[in-house]
Amino acid sequence: MSAGRRLGFVSPNAPLLAAWVGLWVVLAAGAAHAQSLEYPVKANYLVRFAAFVDWPGSAFASPGSPIVICVAGRDPFGRRLDEAVAGQLISGRRVLARRVSSAEARSGCHIVYLGGLEAAARRELLAALASRPVLTVTDAADPAVRGLIDFAIARDRVRFHIDNDAARDAGLAVNSRLLSLALTVRGGRS
Amino acid sequence: MTGAVEGLSTGRTPRLVTATLAALVLGGLVLAVMSERHYRDQKVREAQVQAEILAASVAAPLAFDDADTAQAYVRAMARNPEVLSVGVYDERGERVAHLSRDGASPPAPRLQAGETPSREGSVRVASPVVEAGARLGQVRLEMGSEPVARRLARYGGVALLIGMAALAMIVLGAAQAALRRANGELGRQAQDLAGANARLHTEMEERARAEEALRQSQKMEALGQLTGGIAHDFNNLLMITSGGLDLLDRTSDPKKRDRLKAGIRQAVDRGAGLTRQLLAFSRRSALKPEVVDLGARIEGMRLLLERSLREDIEVTFDAPADLWPVEVDAGELEVALINLAVNARDAMPAGGRLVVSARNVPGEPTSSFPLDHVCLAVTDTGVGMSPEVVERVFEPFFTTKGVGSGTGLGLSQVYGFARSSGGRTDINSRPGEGTRISLCLPKSARSAGEAPADAEAAAPLLDEGGRLLLVEDDDGVAAVVIQMVQDLGLSARRAMSAEEAIAVLAEDQAFRLVFSDMVMPGTLDGRQLAQHVRDHYPHLPVLLTTGFSQAAEAARSEGLSLLPKPYRLPELRAALEQALRPKN
Repeated sequence: MSAGRRLGFVSPNAPLLAAWVGLWVVLAAGAAHAQSLEYPVKANYLVRFAAFVDWPGSAFASPGSPIVICVAGRDPFGRRLDEAVAGQLISGRRVLARRVSSAEARSGCHIVYLGGLEAAARRELLAALASRPVLTVTDAADPAVRGLIDFAIARDRVRFHIDNDAARDAGLAVNSRLLSLALTVRGGRS
Repeated sequence: MTGAVEGLSTGRTPRLVTATLAALVLGGLVLAVMSERHYRDQKVREAQVQAEILAASVAAPLAFDDADTAQAYVRAMARNPEVLSVGVYDERGERVAHLSRDGASPPAPRLQAGETPSREGSVRVASPVVEAGARLGQVRLEMGSEPVARRLARYGGVALLIGMAALAMIVLGAAQAALRRANGELGRQAQDLAGANARLHTEMEERARAEEALRQSQKMEALGQLTGGIAHDFNNLLMITSGGLDLLDRTSDPKKRDRLKAGIRQAVDRGAGLTRQLLAFSRRSALKPEVVDLGARIEGMRLLLERSLREDIEVTFDAPADLWPVEVDAGELEVALINLAVNARDAMPAGGRLVVSARNVPGEPTSSFPLDHVCLAVTDTGVGMSPEVVERVFEPFFTTKGVGSGTGLGLSQVYGFARSSGGRTDINSRPGEGTRISLCLPKSARSAGEAPADAEAAAPLLDEGGRLLLVEDDDGVAAVVIQMVQDLGLSARRAMSAEEAIAVLAEDQAFRLVFSDMVMPGTLDGRQLAQHVRDHYPHLPVLLTTGFSQAAEAARSEGLSLLPKPYRLPELRAALEQALRPKN
């Protein structure tokens, strides 16, 4: 059990609560520490999702085309994501990370992280990517506007929900072993 | 040859057995090692499969840090009792989940993939956790194999079989080797025995030859001892004869002449008796039993015995007239008597008395001598013998006499003669009280041959007169014999040799008888002449005469009539009567 993976807070609202009880300084440091652990983990997960999801052949220009991970809007990962993709070879494809605008994310991406977008822009982009072979990933979003995968924090760990129905609509096959790790799966685990 | 075969086989068998045993044990070992290796390979494959199953299962939990799920998979894997420890490591080598049984340490991280046996009977394998080509971590698994005891038990059966086979072969080999050794030993012993037997035979033959030679030499020794006395005796006889003849010429008194003639006749008779005994004594022939009148025989030996003793020994003969006849070899009997007498003489160095006696001893049905015997005893008044000497006195070569004076064969000849004649010997002796040695011979059912005196009754045969052919080379003898023949009322024609006799017979067969000497110069002897006469003139009788004992033996063995030289007129008459008597 790695200490490095353990997260030091219960919820994203903790710094606020801490400030309110007058212990802001101490807890702000803890929050900063939590922040510094949460996003590297998520960056890793973004890359690893690629290993548990099959895209249709039409999603790639050629058999050697890379898998492109796009971070739309604000980038919470920084160099962590670049480190996570570096040297990875999944199903014989290299993995690339791109920071794109909401508009740019509509094409050329296989995985799109929408956590950095405002709710309206997120909803708009999700709608645009719906039924297309793109693995959309949201971050603790409103259940009504979730991507195919939605990060969540459970028992101090980064976990996720999966919308398998929508994934099938999009032409993606999610590995059952990934499904078995999800907190919830819409559309069943098989 | 036996030794070579044995050496070959005993040398080869243990080597063969050892080689077979070695091959058996080696084969068993190879089998065990191969089986063990196969078992181990199988175990490694099994562990590898288990590790790969776990690796596939924990890919997702590992990728997304779900230690609990990973641990659940690990626990599921550990349901297998053979799994000793399991570890799941992330790509940085840090352990995410693990489980280990008692005594088993958790697998170390960062070990090379593949098998690294850490403990006796366990295998360690590692399998990478890869999802879609992405390396996520590693699973390490240690799997125990069957306990050593159980595996040993599994091989125990084979080991037991091999052991039994080895034991059987060793026992068989040892038994065979022992058997072969025993056979070889037996063969050697048989050879030794055969060799010993052959040596024994050779020794027996040599001894028999030596005994025979010694017996003969003993005879010659006795003869030698006699010679001096005999020469002396003959000189006395010649003195009597010569002196008698001289005195005959010088006197005309009939009384005196008769006394002188009687003295000459007595001297000549003694001389003839002496030579006859010597010839018989010197004869060398096998035992030839004949019916013998012991009394007459002893009386006949009187002269010879007296000659073989010294003058300071007084000899007495004591034999009744009605002694039973015995059937023995006369020559051997005489030798035995001489031996007894010589032995008695030597026991009386200072002189004494020697008694030769004979008695009829009726058999006692209840005793060990149920048959009738005639016992001849020689008793002396000599030094006697101790019981130890008595016990051994009949042994061949046993002698108390000094070197060169006795062969030790004398009394053994007596003993041997008694035994071979069906009789026995007895000895009574005490130191200082003299010795009595008895020679007992079984009574013969037959009676002794008729005495020549009976011939007187047949005298008329010669009254018919007639001619005989005398074959004699010696003129002196021929002249005397012709005179004797004429005195008997016959005439004689003389031939000088057998050849001449044959020539005479070819022209003139008007002879009543051929009277021939046996040993004559010329190519033919008396026997051949007799044969010739028998073949050509079967009705013409032949009477042979000779002074040679061997020639006489040969003639007798062929059934020819024989008159031993020298003979007196009555003997000649009897022999002629016998020869002229028609055969039945």
